[in-house]
Amino acid sequence: MLAELGHFSLVLALLMAILLAIYPLWGAQRGSATLMATARPLAIGVFLFTAFAYFCLSWAFFENDFTVAYVAHNSNTLLPWYYRLTAVWGGHEGSFLLWVLIFSVWTVAVAVFSSSIPREFLARVLGILGLVGVGFYLYMLLASNPFERLLPFFPVDGRDLNPLLQDFGMIIHPPLLYMGYVGFSVVFAFAIAALIAGRLDSTWARWSRPWTLAAWIFLTLGIALGSWWAYKELGWGGWWFWDPVENASFMPWLVGTALLHSLAVTEKRKVFKSWTVLLAISAFCLSLLGTFLVRSGILVSVHSFASDPTRGLFILALLMLVIGGSLLLYALRAPQLRSIGRYQLVSREMMLIGNNILLSAATLVVLLGTLLPLVHKELGLGSISVGAPFFDQMFVYLTVPFVFLLAMGPLSRWKQQSTSALGRHLLMAFGISVSAALLIGLGSDSFSYMATLGLVLSIWILVATVQEVRQRIAGSGEMFAGIKQLTPSHWGMVLGHLGFAVMIIGIAMVTSYSQERDVRMAPGDSIELAGYTFQLQGVEPLRGPNYTGHVAIMDIYANGKKLNHLEAEKRFYTVQRSVMTEAAIDVGLTRDLYVALGEQLNNGAWALRVYVKPFIRWIWAGALLMAIGGCLSLSDKRYRMAKLAHKASTSEKPQMGKASAMGEIKRADV
Amino acid sequence: MNPRRKQRLLAVSAVLVVVAGAIGLMLYALGQNIDLFYTPSEIVQGKKGVKPQVGQRLRVGGMVVEGSVRRDPDSLAVNFDLVDTGPMITVSYQGILPDLFREGQGIVATGYLTQAKHIEAEEVLAKHDEEYMPPELAEAMKGIKHVKPSEAGYQKE
Amino acid sequence: MKKLSLFLLPLLLFLLVSVFLLQGLFSDPTERKSSLLNRGVPDFSLPDVMNDSIVYGPEVFDNQITLLNVWGTWCVTCAYELPFLTQLREQGVRIVGLYYEQDLDPDFGAKSLRQIRLDIDKKLGQLGNPYAFNIFDQQRSLSLDLGVTGAPETFLIGPQGKVLLHHIGDVNERVWQQKFESVYQRLSGQALNQQESVR
Repeated sequence: MLAELGHFSLVLALLMAILLAIYPLWGAQRGSATLMATARPLAIGVFLFTAFAYFCLSWAFFENDFTVAYVAHNSNTLLPWYYRLTAVWGGHEGSFLLWVLIFSVWTVAVAVFSSSIPREFLARVLGILGLVGVGFYLYMLLASNPFERLLPFFPVDGRDLNPLLQDFGMIIHPPLLYMGYVGFSVVFAFAIAALIAGRLDSTWARWSRPWTLAAWIFLTLGIALGSWWAYKELGWGGWWFWDPVENASFMPWLVGTALLHSLAVTEKRKVFKSWTVLLAISAFCLSLLGTFLVRSGILVSVHSFASDPTRGLFILALLMLVIGGSLLLYALRAPQLRSIGRYQLVSREMMLIGNNILLSAATLVVLLGTLLPLVHKELGLGSISVGAPFFDQMFVYLTVPFVFLLAMGPLSRWKQQSTSALGRHLLMAFGISVSAALLIGLGSDSFSYMATLGLVLSIWILVATVQEVRQRIAGSGEMFAGIKQLTPSHWGMVLGHLGFAVMIIGIAMVTSYSQERDVRMAPGDSIELAGYTFQLQGVEPLRGPNYTGHVAIMDIYANGKKLNHLEAEKRFYTVQRSVMTEAAIDVGLTRDLYVALGEQLNNGAWALRVYVKPFIRWIWAGALLMAIGGCLSLSDKRYRMAKLAHKASTSEKPQMGKASAMGEIKRADV
Repeated sequence: MNPRRKQRLLAVSAVLVVVAGAIGLMLYALGQNIDLFYTPSEIVQGKKGVKPQVGQRLRVGGMVVEGSVRRDPDSLAVNFDLVDTGPMITVSYQGILPDLFREGQGIVATGYLTQAKHIEAEEVLAKHDEEYMPPELAEAMKGIKHVKPSEAGYQKE
Repeated sequence: MKKLSLFLLPLLLFLLVSVFLLQGLFSDPTERKSSLLNRGVPDFSLPDVMNDSIVYGPEVFDNQITLLNVWGTWCVTCAYELPFLTQLREQGVRIVGLYYEQDLDPDFGAKSLRQIRLDIDKKLGQLGNPYAFNIFDQQRSLSLDLGVTGAPETFLIGPQGKVLLHHIGDVNERVWQQKFESVYQRLSGQALNQQESVR
């Protein structure tokens, strides 16, 4: 019964979305206040009905209601209750329900937090969100309804959740990622509303910035979490695989990062308007494209239930309408935009142009690498795959100039920067970074060019960032007072850039100095790797709630002292009939020790994979720093739009609430 | 031509040079890193008349010939034969085979062709849930009267 | 005008990509044409899954329209299509199973043949038995000849033993109506006409 209620609730949400797509837009066109005023209650209605539908599906999972097809496909009575609840987004239909739920959350957030935005503009934004929402809800109800029943023949037990997804990382990874993906829909709606109204001034950029930041923060965290999960769960010790699913999330991130920077220029200097709008549209379009690639069946297993091209067609039609429509609107309206500001070759504007060019190039590289196998096959040239080395190589080439500009950007002034002053700073940063990196590189046991390059780059960012902060506070005389004067958004930028530096160190060290060995070991054997002794104590059988398997017990010694005791598991999930490797990891600031159990060999021996991964935690720590930087920027008072609205509902968007705690903030930047 | 125009022309041509260079670089990197897919018979007899070069990086998909998996007793080195519809090739691999690697099973290996019929694999993938054959392999093999993995041994020279 | 074309560039790029996406959607492996289509079923000689002494060959497809369904008790998607296939059987469609057992693989928790037969009985008892009989393809020889990539897959075989349709994935009401029904109706119509002309 609840499943039918959920279905009905979704239909109501669709109706609300249709009204939301019509009334406010019409009202804005005609200048009718009554019609525009419907936007907020309608947005709240869409959210409430979607939330109720989501609750119904969760309940069906919790109660093991296998008459619901989706539950039967993705859950099992043996599954622990918390995984039953997260199994809601374990498959196609449910994850799409989560997607629309998050979409409605963002819509409500716009409705609630934007009371300072002109009524007409807000009505347009919400109307466009409603329009996009209609597409989502229609797709959901027509082509992937999670509430479909398996009656009268329903199975006694479900087929279980994909074991890869039975992990803590997977509980929060998809919601975070979707928060990011769908968050760009808000930015998209702002851009389209501005294009329709023909009002692409700097206020538009200012309104969009916090939403871009919020979406970007979620996406950053989501991607980092996904990478951490892959490292832990796939048993290969890799943290990024360049597979299409990862690439699909990486492209919106790259464009989102470019957008963050370009919005800053548009807001402060009123230039690059048409470019910024294009980025705002692309960020959301790439999110949708990512969804299409992942969900259409082009990539999924053909034997599961997605063997139905109508779904893919529907998504493609949706893409054509949303992306094609918005790009057409862009092509018609953007030529009318005029940028008025003037700037010189050496100026912050130019640095940020460089940043945008490089980030866009990176996006194109990823897009090309992801789509080329498809294009190649469709042209009848045979089946190919683009190897990870291609991406690695291209990203090394792109990162070096990117980092070079990254250090120069904040040090430069808008409009025009004196070359000699910048040169002095850069010379110093260059000297320090190269000599420090060489010192560290030569001091270590083995010299690696890539690791040294990575160190140069990150120290270069570090030194330039310190110089920039010093330059900022120099004007105010006393250092402490100067530091207090810096805005949270400025600290956000500093932290974001430092986070990137930390990440580069992690990546450079892991790729250059990782040590790995695949070994054959019998109980009692031990091996040495990077100064650590790994001794296999034994391999014992294992029995879990929905799996059986083996566990290898490994003791690790360093300098004769016992360091840790690791248990690496190999699980066989009985219902899904798949094997999972649960690696055991000794976590450290400067290195991870990683043990994965392989196959059983003869004579009681086992194949084991042992890794020493230096500084790998720094990769995710860097991402976390970037996200914290984003939160700091978001907390800046300038972006707070409605103080009253914020008081009313801090719980929904905690980032917005931090500003009040920041005390007195003066605008120190230009 | 006034100086302003000249400056602009210079900037535009500089951008063009950089873009062209970047595209060239990208295509070069791409050319180095595309792994074409072959079946064992395509490696021996050629695919559309083109045989892969020794030293080329490629992906190969086939069925593991039963009884052909030979493990080194002291290390993780392993050799096995792959077959689809005709001749066999040998794959060497050093390391842990995937959880679902079996004789008679379809696998895909990525690596370098070191001799005419020998591949040094860097990566071996096997899929085994409801799909017991990689789709690319199935596509290459569909509808052809193939040599069964268990019988392939008789053809060995 | 020149400026407009510049701003149209993203749109054109996207349209180009979507052409390939569209094509990719329809060359999806589930939709590909098997080259076996309109050719005869390959030769085989395989036992019944329940009784080793019964041996089947291609002649089992003679003079009848048959759905050949590849399945196994280990395959969960197969279990979902069993009720619908049973419905089809009740409407008079002849369905033959092509059975493959993963659990005879010693590495995957060895099961005895007896145990497997019990499992099959249990599963079919629970969800309905659509099969006239089941061909036991333990070596996957017939499956490979047919170009089967997994389970479930279903073939529509005509009265001359020709493969007329190949569907990858589960057969449900929608798939049946869109893909199988028209061909099936045409064939059975022809069969009826032939019978009548004989009379």
